[in-house]
Amino acid sequence: MILRVNTDMAAGGFGLSFAALLWLGGTDIGRLSILFPRAILVILVAFSLLLFVKGFFRPGQRSIEISGSPWRLLVLILLLLAWWFAIGKVGFVVSSFLTMLFITWFLARVEGPVSLKRLLLWTPIIAVMVGGFYSIFTQVLNVRLPSGLLF
Amino acid sequence: MEMMLEALASLMTFESFITVLVGVSAGLLIGSLPGLTATMALAVLLPFTFSMEPLQGLIALGAVYMGSIYGGAFTAILINTPGTPSSIATTFDGYPMARQGRAYEALAGATIASVIGGLVGVAFLLVLAPPLARWAVAFGPSEMFWVAMLGLTLVASLSSGSLLKGMIGGCIGMLLSTIGVSPVGGETRFTFGFPAMQGGIELIVALIGLFVIPELLSMAAEGRSNITESGEFGKSKVGIRQVARHILGKPVNLIRSCLIGQIIAIIPGAGGNVTSLVAYNEARRFSKDPKSFGKGNIDGVVASESSNNVMVAGSMIPLLTLGIPGAPPDAIILGVLLMHGLRPGLDLFTESGVLTNGFILSMGMAALMLLPVGLLGARLIHKVVIKTPYHFMVPAIAMVTILGTFALRNSLLDVGIMMMMGIVGYFLRLIGIHAAPIVLGLILGGIAEQGYVQTMLAAVVDPIPWLRLVSNPLSKVLAALVLLGAATAMLPAWLERSGRLDKGSPSQGDDS
Repeated sequence: MILRVNTDMAAGGFGLSFAALLWLGGTDIGRLSILFPRAILVILVAFSLLLFVKGFFRPGQRSIEISGSPWRLLVLILLLLAWWFAIGKVGFVVSSFLTMLFITWFLARVEGPVSLKRLLLWTPIIAVMVGGFYSIFTQVLNVRLPSGLLF
Repeated sequence: MEMMLEALASLMTFESFITVLVGVSAGLLIGSLPGLTATMALAVLLPFTFSMEPLQGLIALGAVYMGSIYGGAFTAILINTPGTPSSIATTFDGYPMARQGRAYEALAGATIASVIGGLVGVAFLLVLAPPLARWAVAFGPSEMFWVAMLGLTLVASLSSGSLLKGMIGGCIGMLLSTIGVSPVGGETRFTFGFPAMQGGIELIVALIGLFVIPELLSMAAEGRSNITESGEFGKSKVGIRQVARHILGKPVNLIRSCLIGQIIAIIPGAGGNVTSLVAYNEARRFSKDPKSFGKGNIDGVVASESSNNVMVAGSMIPLLTLGIPGAPPDAIILGVLLMHGLRPGLDLFTESGVLTNGFILSMGMAALMLLPVGLLGARLIHKVVIKTPYHFMVPAIAMVTILGTFALRNSLLDVGIMMMMGIVGYFLRLIGIHAAPIVLGLILGGIAEQGYVQTMLAAVVDPIPWLRLVSNPLSKVLAALVLLGAATAMLPAWLERSGRLDKGSPSQGDDS
């Protein structure tokens, strides 16, 4: 998918927005602590403005290309965020098993319909992967993974 | 000399050999998992060394350290994910090589460079430890500021297409490094009311987010893996001998990278990530074909991997002589030394000389062991990456990154930050702001800030405070190097714009 975007203006705008966000968040900071960030903020604003203005007169790239399916991209972004949210709520093992199985099914559909037999074949593989990593991290590396409501 | 021979004899046992073999293998495995650092590998192993003899424990730690730094190159090359922060620069050329089906060539190059780097580091440590340690203390805040600035000149060469966008990326990275408690003032900054943000943004969290998540998103969108199968081991056109001949045929790159690695390694706090970035930048700068860097030039992989492995032994110089850890993993080794009643300093080289020399020589043994273990490991890991269908690969990598990120500080917020940075990083890449300058800013921001603020604090009574930044000869030399570095990095772009150079393909640093 090709989107018509002036990348110079977009990058300059992002730099300015980021600088504004930190500028507003750094109002009550003492001199020693703000000395360095303020210097960088000023430099960032200068570069961003320069790029934004350049975008008006001599724009670099006028379009961006998202190769592949934007739909799959969006779904994966939502699935990753849901996975993160679910880890805290239902625990690492359950959320990871379900999300991984869903992502595997969703991405495998690119090659064609996924039969129930294939899905059943993947279930133990994913269970072993999740269980294996869970055991390594909790038993060997002594990392306490979130257990949430379930496991 | 007598002590050295005695130390060598104590190493020539089956027990020591097995310890090194297991240590290197374990380090390689941990180092190749994104998010699991060399420091974590050593911390995990630490309890196992309590029951060992002092030399055996130190041998194990040295071997794990060497293996984990090298292991970071595997995922850096195969999936554009630096296993350890020291391998960031390895991704710049290693991953493009893998995408071109030259994964084996890149892995073999990384292995040979790591072995040579490791051996050079050990040689330096044996010969130059005391004089170099005296030189290391000459690096004060202003010198550290210039070292950070020297690293930042790399932004110019990492800016893919637009220097301004690279600079914006570098500034964003430096600002991200200021989130949390200020290193000098002690106040919390930019936490937006989240107490959990006081710890700041962990480098590894940003690294995983900015390098891995965009790759996963593009794999999902494109519906295929980003690695081609044409570089399979058996069918590869380039063998280990050819790679070795290529690397050894260009000794200047290797020697320069090793020297850079050694010099930066003895500066406490600089770490392997800075050494590999600076060495990569210099390799590119002095190359006859700088345009090929960032697009799959093996010399970039060699520069990064040789310098970060020199750092393993090199950073022991301030540790063993002054008790100052040169890099975070060294702090764990210092703890083990103290636990066994060994105090850093001259005594370590005289009274406990056999033990100290044994430890140093064991790191040389570990470096040699990287060759067989590494090549075998490379074959296995490469096969796994190539043969795994992408619909398994994407969720599996996502799970490992979540685990690695969470394990750093037991924080789910870190996982969220990692994902958000990755998602934002994907879209920033589309508009031309790449991950590499952001990460570079994040690494060097802290060092630059500490150096800058401490210098300004010391110069509070000076009429022109900033002149303190160039008040002594060493900082003057470093400042001149920064100016020279910036000028040479910008020169090709200026020549191209003014029409004095052929307009070729865009600059390097394409981390897509």
